[in-house]
Amino acid sequence: MELPDRSSAEDVTDGLKIVSYAVNSNGEYELTQDFVWQPVGVVNHQAWEEIAKKISISRNKVTAGRVSCLHYYMTANQMDIGLVAQYTRQPRWKVCLHLIPFVFARVSADTLRKYADMYRVSLADLRNGRLLAPIYNNE
Amino acid sequence: MLDFPHTQSAHCESGVAANLLTHQGLTISEAMAFGLGGGLFFGYFPFIRINGLPLVTYRAAAGNILRQIASIDGVSMVEKKFRNQDEAMAELDQALAASIPVGLQTGVFWLPYFPKALRFHFNAHNLVVYGKEGNEYLISDPVFPTPVRCPATDLARARFASGALAPKGKMYYLTRVPAELKLKPHIVQGIRFVCKMMLASPFPLIGVKGIRFLAKRLGKWPQRLGPEQADLHLGHVVRMQEEIGTGGGGFRFMYAAFLQESAAAMQEPRLQECAASLTAAGDTWREFAAMAARLCKKRGRPEDSYPAMVACLNRCAAMEEKVFTELRQWTRQQP
Repeated sequence: MELPDRSSAEDVTDGLKIVSYAVNSNGEYELTQDFVWQPVGVVNHQAWEEIAKKISISRNKVTAGRVSCLHYYMTANQMDIGLVAQYTRQPRWKVCLHLIPFVFARVSADTLRKYADMYRVSLADLRNGRLLAPIYNNE
Repeated sequence: MLDFPHTQSAHCESGVAANLLTHQGLTISEAMAFGLGGGLFFGYFPFIRINGLPLVTYRAAAGNILRQIASIDGVSMVEKKFRNQDEAMAELDQALAASIPVGLQTGVFWLPYFPKALRFHFNAHNLVVYGKEGNEYLISDPVFPTPVRCPATDLARARFASGALAPKGKMYYLTRVPAELKLKPHIVQGIRFVCKMMLASPFPLIGVKGIRFLAKRLGKWPQRLGPEQADLHLGHVVRMQEEIGTGGGGFRFMYAAFLQESAAAMQEPRLQECAASLTAAGDTWREFAAMAARLCKKRGRPEDSYPAMVACLNRCAAMEEKVFTELRQWTRQQP
């Protein structure tokens, strides 16, 4: 079978060698480390492009002052309101309110710390609305 | 420190099961663990959403393989869930101090050693912790070629990830395994389980019916969702089918490997034939995925289209129906 071209297939696993099942010349199955099937890279790339698109929309909204920086952190870390609420153990409506800049500026330090701990940023970053990289980009 | 036999495998849950059993002195391959655990499945659940996209699954629910293996005569497994994070980590340390390798369910997003491109909010990843050095845990993650390390704070977070399939700190370890395993009855039982799921479910979203249902829906995506969303949905289906942890072809190749191994263990040429047919089905799945990927990349060939993919999926359904009907007949002839 002819496969789509090779671009972006390697960065799916960051050079990590994964194994998959393939039939050898005797018709027997074995685990091989040799290859990442190309379409995997294509669809993975597509998923990340969609995330990147959402992040840039959110970034624009934050700079325009329409949402708080919490919205950026939520989007950048692929979360939705329900997930943020679960992680910070708050009701969803509170998280919804915190997405409004006016409300977010008045949030208590304790609540802010919950967000800061989750996204591994400092309280000052959140207060000043600094938009730092998501968790998976830091390491 | 514990000497843990780390073997790289294609799927996390069957890999963990195989590694844990091997550690206890019962050497077993990953494909065999996958088959005994009845890991193969198909389900399309549009009412469950992952990142706003419908859930498509090619394998049994998370935890199914381990549960099936734990139910084998002579195997005992301890399984615990926790409410409290500190308690969960203390319990893990205790088990490690007693040199028991412990299996954990974790969320991939919080594991720092994972490749960046795979860090989605997916909460049903299994791994084995076999030691602790200072503030770092030594982890045998079955999809990695070598053992890895993970800081305690990150592991604690990963164990208490929230969202769909939340692990709630789930940990498990084997306390007893039989000296040797009579494979034959368990193979038959495992195959019977999968046949039932694939052919005899009354629910139309499961098994062969589910594949046909997906095909029908997929054909309507471009009209219903618009071209852009349709491509996103399509990419999601392919990711569930081919991404890391599937062994390729939506687990079909792994299951074919299990059938092949069983055929050799039981001197049963019919299983060998079924393995070959299932491989063909897996290849058809890949044909579908390749076509889908070309469309997602906007590099479709003239023959690539949604109707062509529908036809391809229907072909997969027909092939799998044939394989599993044959397997079901075979299991009925077994004692």
